[in-house]
Amino acid sequence: MLTRLIVYFAYFLKASRRYQSAKLFFYNLLENPDSRLKSYFDVVMICLVMVSVFLLIHEVNNPLSESEVLFEHCVISVFIAEYLLRGWLYSDNHKIILEHYEKAEYLNVPFRLNRVARIILAKKIEYVFTPLALIDLLAILPSYRPLRVLRVFLIFRLFKLFRYFNSIKLFANVLASRRFELVTLGIFLGFLVFIGSTGIYLFENPANGGQVHNLFEAFYWAIVTVATVGYGDISPQTTGGRIVAMALILVGLGVLSFLVSIIVGAFNEEMDELRENSTYAELNRFDSFIIICGFGRVGQHIARQLEKDRLHFVIIDTRESNVLKAKRLGYLVIHEDASKNGVIQNAGINNGATAVICTTGDDVINVYITLTSRHLNPDIRIISRANNQDNVKKLYQAGASNVIQPFEIAGMVVAEYIGQPVAFEAILGIIREESHTIMETLCVHPGSFVEGMSIAEIGFEQRKLMLIGIISANPEHHTHKNSYPIKNQHFYFNPEPYFVLRDSDLLVVIGREYAIGYFRDQIEKSRLKSGRQR
Amino acid sequence: MKRIAVFGYSVMSLEAMSRLNQEQYSIVFIAKDDAEAALVAEKGFDTKVIDFRNDDELRSIGIGADVDTLFCFYPRDFDNVFLTISARAIDKNITIVAIVDDPESAEKLLAAGANKIIDPYEICGRKTHEMLTKPDITNILDNTVFGRYDLNMAQIEIPEGSCLENTKTSELKLNEKHNLILIGVVDRELGEQLHFAIGEKEHCLDAGDVLVVMGPAREIKAFKKEVEPCGD
Repeated sequence: MLTRLIVYFAYFLKASRRYQSAKLFFYNLLENPDSRLKSYFDVVMICLVMVSVFLLIHEVNNPLSESEVLFEHCVISVFIAEYLLRGWLYSDNHKIILEHYEKAEYLNVPFRLNRVARIILAKKIEYVFTPLALIDLLAILPSYRPLRVLRVFLIFRLFKLFRYFNSIKLFANVLASRRFELVTLGIFLGFLVFIGSTGIYLFENPANGGQVHNLFEAFYWAIVTVATVGYGDISPQTTGGRIVAMALILVGLGVLSFLVSIIVGAFNEEMDELRENSTYAELNRFDSFIIICGFGRVGQHIARQLEKDRLHFVIIDTRESNVLKAKRLGYLVIHEDASKNGVIQNAGINNGATAVICTTGDDVINVYITLTSRHLNPDIRIISRANNQDNVKKLYQAGASNVIQPFEIAGMVVAEYIGQPVAFEAILGIIREESHTIMETLCVHPGSFVEGMSIAEIGFEQRKLMLIGIISANPEHHTHKNSYPIKNQHFYFNPEPYFVLRDSDLLVVIGREYAIGYFRDQIEKSRLKSGRQR
Repeated sequence: MKRIAVFGYSVMSLEAMSRLNQEQYSIVFIAKDDAEAALVAEKGFDTKVIDFRNDDELRSIGIGADVDTLFCFYPRDFDNVFLTISARAIDKNITIVAIVDDPESAEKLLAAGANKIIDPYEICGRKTHEMLTKPDITNILDNTVFGRYDLNMAQIEIPEGSCLENTKTSELKLNEKHNLILIGVVDRELGEQLHFAIGEKEHCLDAGDVLVVMGPAREIKAFKKEVEPCGD
């Protein structure tokens, strides 16, 4: 009966939306390294730990006031709640129960509750004995009055900080990666200390006129000497003792430098990866960004423009010198080969990236990156550079949305400059937004006041705007003249006064920034108003 | 007819040459050897082979005489600087357009006497950026200013004795009469600056003023005819 009830309850939990979302919330709060919630939680916990440790230090000399005691209780309850929640998150009991139950059903053997209970218990005990959980427990326990003896363990509260500081974790990871070297060195050091302490004890015991009374003092002296600290409270008096000291100091110097070099080496090796990880983490925080593959001359210009626009972007380049340059400019950069699937995926092609720009100097690589990106994300915008006219078609085939040809464009610009300098400078000024007059597109939102109005009714002249044309995919407009196909839309140049605007048409206007801004605001406002009325 | 001399063989020089209207400009390509000359001649351009380091040979192709514009499109910056200095020394009034590889060389080229510096990488970077931030506008401009379709942007100078003299800009009504859009006016009374026709100020047209218009090529042609002196 009880078994059936428990299995039923497990199914209930599995199906319960609320239970799942609660668990997900706490997972995000406590464990999920990518969640923003966790970083806030960590900061709060760090503050709590610091304040509570400060209180403990304060308590050494002064009795605590009532409010301080209350605060201490609060801190402890938060710690306990955190400890229990982590235990809860550590494993999914209902899943274990159901897994075993379904297995038993399938094999037609009786379902034994006590075996499952044992497995669950084993899991939870496993949690209790993980190092971080032990630290958590030790940070809580001493607060229980009968266990006041354990006060020393209050220092474990500081160790609790491990949980919340990523850099400490990183340090631990770096050390862990050099486990073999460190263990070897540790064994050697232990051996050295052992020889040193027995040697000094033999030479320097009081019977020989020395100061070393027992093996512990010998051990203490050996450690102090090997570490090149040398307090001098115990110093060898006999010749034999001094020889031991000299040898120990020299070898100690070697061991110390070896230790430092191991740690430094490990850090150097891990540093690049760490830096890249921090790049990825930063990218994760952006809602939208652009991936620039290749930080050559073109890439640099694009990056500068995007920076001016305050748009986020990340650079991927294989060349060391380019990566260094990007770093010096303070850009996010990944030193990898963008043609690899993993690299561009990690950079977030499916996770916030809005466009990929391939601007390497090699068309072969550009085609490859374009193909890779298109394969990974069928909807993303890809702008690719073609250095050779023949490759434009291939880039479009590979899936580029737009292809840019640097030398062709430059040639075009020169021709325009020679032929029609005034017109050319005017249009460049508009594009670059150097003057206050800009060219913009305004969308006719459904429900806004301009929808269904004719051009004459809107009165662009009174609004101090110049209407160049209308971009629209609406088949209703096909009867108008002056239409130019652009991709799957049409551009209607100089529309007649009776041209009636339909929703999602784009108005292309030239005008002062604020005139355009004001008109856009009016459109937006009228749309919101009509939306509310509905 | 303007005469243009193009130095240096590259994709860019070919593109620039093919975009310039052969009816309005006489273009001569200066090759460094016969093979290069043959390659360009195949595309239908006049070519000459000279050593640009020699002033006499530069004079022989008409610099200092009938060449109005010089394109320095050598891939190496110091060649361009040298050519610019030589040409500027021969002719004070020649228009020199030079490309630059290293941005640092831009100042040197300007100091050497170039009128316009083109950085292909910069232009490409800007273009990519425009495509990213304003795809619609870029598309339209590609099709108009950089004339892939029939839509064009043109500047029209008002000649002496034109029927448009003393006309007000608001009376032009180009969009109704000619299917053209008046983008802006350079009013010589107010300087060289272009004033956009966004209903801010009324300009009275005089000879020498420049209209910048946008529209289909044939409409522009028709309008140009109308601007010409009435008496003819």
